[in-house]
Amino acid sequence: METAQPHAGVHIEDVSKSFGPEGARTLVLNHVSLSIKMGEFVSVIGPSGCGKSTLLKTVAGLIEADSGTVEVDGMTVKAATKNKMIGLVPQSPALLPWRTVLDNVRLPMTVNPKANANRNLRDPREILESFGLGAALDKYPGQLSGGMQQRVAIARAFVFDPSVLLMDEPFSALDEMNRDAQRLGLLDFWQSNRKAVMFVTHSVPEAIMLSDRIVVMGAHPGHIAEIIDVPLPRPRTIDVYATDEFRDLEGRVRETLREVMGQKSA
Amino acid sequence: MPKSRKNEDTMSTTETSALAVQAATSATGRRFSPLASAKLKQNLRWTNWAPAVITFVIAAALWQITAIANPYVIPTIDQVWMSLIKDADTYWANMLVTGLEVVVGASSGILAGFILAIIMAEFQIMERAIMPLVVVVMVTPIVAIAPALVVAFGFGMTPKFIVTALVVFFPMLVNSLAGLRDVDDRALDVMKTLHASRWEIFRDLRFTGSMPYVFAGLRIALPLAIVGAAVAEFVAAGQQAGLGSLVTIAAAQANLPVTWASIALLCLMGVILISLLALVRKRVLWWSDGAAVGR
Repeated sequence: METAQPHAGVHIEDVSKSFGPEGARTLVLNHVSLSIKMGEFVSVIGPSGCGKSTLLKTVAGLIEADSGTVEVDGMTVKAATKNKMIGLVPQSPALLPWRTVLDNVRLPMTVNPKANANRNLRDPREILESFGLGAALDKYPGQLSGGMQQRVAIARAFVFDPSVLLMDEPFSALDEMNRDAQRLGLLDFWQSNRKAVMFVTHSVPEAIMLSDRIVVMGAHPGHIAEIIDVPLPRPRTIDVYATDEFRDLEGRVRETLREVMGQKSA
Repeated sequence: MPKSRKNEDTMSTTETSALAVQAATSATGRRFSPLASAKLKQNLRWTNWAPAVITFVIAAALWQITAIANPYVIPTIDQVWMSLIKDADTYWANMLVTGLEVVVGASSGILAGFILAIIMAEFQIMERAIMPLVVVVMVTPIVAIAPALVVAFGFGMTPKFIVTALVVFFPMLVNSLAGLRDVDDRALDVMKTLHASRWEIFRDLRFTGSMPYVFAGLRIALPLAIVGAAVAEFVAAGQQAGLGSLVTIAAAQANLPVTWASIALLCLMGVILISLLALVRKRVLWWSDGAAVGR
């Protein structure tokens, strides 16, 4: 119990959500509850159709839950977006191709400028340099590799100092070698800028590498099957992959996923 | 040596646009300028331009043979050319009239189409309210509307502006609307989590994002603008002004060289418009073609 900010982080309480027309509605999220503390990195993993992206979009304010509540730092999602407290990294970088890298990262500052007051805005140049993009400031997204584009998208989400970062499979489009580099880069940066992170992924090693906790979700309807702690020490390096703890955890997560998938077909 | 001079001309325009792309991407110009010049070289390879040139030469030869064999059906190319030289002033004056109709009519049609598209994209109820009327107007043949407009507005420029604007309006509206709607959903998500206002989403995302569609619309609309101007002039041919009027009057007198010279100039106007559009497009939409940015 932190006394200063009793509600810091993300609190998802008993959220349900259905899609589809009246009479043929499919339940996508079934009474989901989850809390992400400030400075905590939580991954959400599960088979497709388990509602992990829907859950993330609910927290981002892009989808409204049918029932239940979502709070960010003790505020409703609506109030949180109004105050620009949520940084979103979508599945594709979604950069504006006609803007330079620097101007893409500046975008969150120029949008909804009312919410810029009393906030620790970062220098876009500095943040891009720390992401290893110092030489690409004046380039256009089309001139960058996929990995670099995704880093720009992450810089764009960090630059306005949100309290919560939501990432929706940001590295899924990259090749495996590139992905490792991006994961380490992200960890490195997050280590010195601890935000509450909700990271949706379908890669087990990625979830273990990055997270403090892994939320395993099951489908039909989407629900949380298990939450697995990742007690690996931080800061983590590439060597983590080779440790016994890592392998044990990987086994556990995969086992849970198998159970979840089994339920579905049963 | 007219042919080699022509080649130089093509090269210089291609070069200018390549430079424009480089200027737009300033600091990185060095990185992909080899790419641009490679592209330029490729464009200049004879396999690229020769097929079209050969087709034109064959078409011209067939025309000439037919014209010589049937002097009362079509004029020979040199007759048309002579007429153009001899009455250059008249042609120029008429071309200016038609040009003015196209410029005024098309720009108002383009502007109106784009603005209405913005309104419809932002307020769906406006689309539901106005679109049916727009469709009704657009399926009415423009050739039928033109005489009615002449009755209403007289033989001056007004009906010509209106007809030209009407013809341009619809493709602009439909394309712009599609463009304004077709934004990157994920970029839109990012904007929404920042609580971006409608205006901010329009300013930062929709406006520029719609440009590929807008230019596709322009490509359809600009040649149509010339059709519109010519049709309007056919109807109001009594007052001899404009290339369209010239065509009807000359055709009525069976003056083949003048008829075809006027047609050729209308065609030339279309070519100029489309070329200008391609140039502007390259400058505005360099980010839209993956190749231009050196992906």
